[in-house]
Amino acid sequence: MSNPGNSDILLAISTPPFWHCGRTIPKHSLHTLLALAPAALLSILQWGVPAVRVMALAVLTALVTEAVCQTLMKRKLTQDNGTAAITGLLLAFLLPASAPWWLVALGSACAIGIGRMAFGGYGANQVSATLVGWALIFVSFPAFMDPTSSLLQTSLFDPLLRIKYFGSAAAADLSLTDLLLGRQLGGLGAAQSGALLLGGLYLVLRGVVRWEIPLAFLLGVLAAASALHLMNGALYAGPLVHLASGSTVLAAFFLATEDSCSPHRRIPMLCYGLIGGVLVMLIRTFGIYTDGAPFAVMLINLLAPLFTLIRSRPFGARPGWKNKAAAEQRRTEA
Amino acid sequence: MDRFLQELTKGLWKELPPFRLLLGLCPVLAVTKSASSGLGMGLAVLFVLTLSNAIISLVRGIIPSKVRIACFITISATLVVAVELLMQAYAYPLYLQLGIFVPLIVVNCIILGRAEAFAAKNPVHLAIADGLGMGLGFTMSLTFLGSIREILGAGTWFGHPVLWEGFQPFSVMVEAPGAFLCLGLILAAMNYGTHRQISRRNREAAAEAPSGCGGCQACSANRG
Repeated sequence: MSNPGNSDILLAISTPPFWHCGRTIPKHSLHTLLALAPAALLSILQWGVPAVRVMALAVLTALVTEAVCQTLMKRKLTQDNGTAAITGLLLAFLLPASAPWWLVALGSACAIGIGRMAFGGYGANQVSATLVGWALIFVSFPAFMDPTSSLLQTSLFDPLLRIKYFGSAAAADLSLTDLLLGRQLGGLGAAQSGALLLGGLYLVLRGVVRWEIPLAFLLGVLAAASALHLMNGALYAGPLVHLASGSTVLAAFFLATEDSCSPHRRIPMLCYGLIGGVLVMLIRTFGIYTDGAPFAVMLINLLAPLFTLIRSRPFGARPGWKNKAAAEQRRTEA
Repeated sequence: MDRFLQELTKGLWKELPPFRLLLGLCPVLAVTKSASSGLGMGLAVLFVLTLSNAIISLVRGIIPSKVRIACFITISATLVVAVELLMQAYAYPLYLQLGIFVPLIVVNCIILGRAEAFAAKNPVHLAIADGLGMGLGFTMSLTFLGSIREILGAGTWFGHPVLWEGFQPFSVMVEAPGAFLCLGLILAAMNYGTHRQISRRNREAAAEAPSGCGGCQACSANRG
């Protein structure tokens, strides 16, 4: 509703609804940041100062880029609502701790500049802005983006990489606890699947994230991984390893649920998540990339407008209302 | 002579083929991986476009209008085959680089578009001016786009390294997504420039012709 402090109009005339539940974008962002905090803390404990450096740089670049774009577009500055910070932090979660500064800055600037502001700002982007930035730098600089080749002084390893090249037996000695506690090589925060799961559940309970999308996404991964594992257990690892490794949890709770890029009714949301989960496994198993989750989310982002077309029958409508509505629309267009 | 110059220069900015008319995007996106292949493609199109415009303008009186499209295609196909053979003979590396996109010049929208829209209705010297102008504009645009993509994506310009030592190439730029990205950003920049130009002109016009509405500046204030 209109805020008297912000505008010089005393009497505002507006359309309903006049009642507001108090849910605002800054509050959403605050909850999301709270949910991301445990994973961030764990990764700082694990990697130390380099992790802080990557995260701070990504967030800072995102905020500055957004401010520059908004100044150029002659818009109100909206850094205080925190959405740009979240985009930057999520991007940092997908990068390794060893990422050079220019890579982080470039990715973050591309995410906000090309992924979000080029489409018209927050809420207008078709594909998750974080993933646009990530994809641009991932395709361009694979050597710097790969934690396995850039973090050599560690005993951890990337389970997905081993499974891909040496079969499921190579990851057999991994316990699920280790994976959940983040004892694996991956993106900074993306590898902390247990902490992310906690944060995600908090968001679901808070109602910031609709439960249908993460649930269906994880179910899709579970179903596809189980099917593959049953087909050939020696080649394809079990579903739990896939759920807890790579960026599956991050994608399910934080990337796939971005409001402007996902459908908003129950059945469309379930289909959206399910197809995303299956795509993750398809890319991991048959594609050239070890972690398919970010690419899978980008693909379902593009499919979201199609899922939105699935509609329930309006209350009181007769059978065949769809054809009638389509005919009506054609007539008005002609 | 004025008309000649006008037809020659319109292709250089006002109706710049790929960025204003958005025609002939297939080679624009596909072969601008480097400045040199962009330049080569542009020159091939310049050659075909000028000659096909000239020939079509010469025979425009004797082609029945029902079969004109087929005739235009035949003429441009003949010229493209000539270009292809010349390239194989004298610029073989470039020919290998451009590959299938040399024969595809036949179906380039600019060739047929200029033939249909201009050469079939105008005398020879104007048709040649139109073809030259459009072809030069096309060559310029392709070289420009190719330069951006090559410098960012490979760190070189016409094969010579131009950026600092240790530069990591932004290699998405020389791949297919980079072409769309660059094209979109260039179009956005050009639209922004045009928009600013128009609003400035409007403001000047409003400042020059006041007192039409009793000195009220409301409409110019809105526009600004």
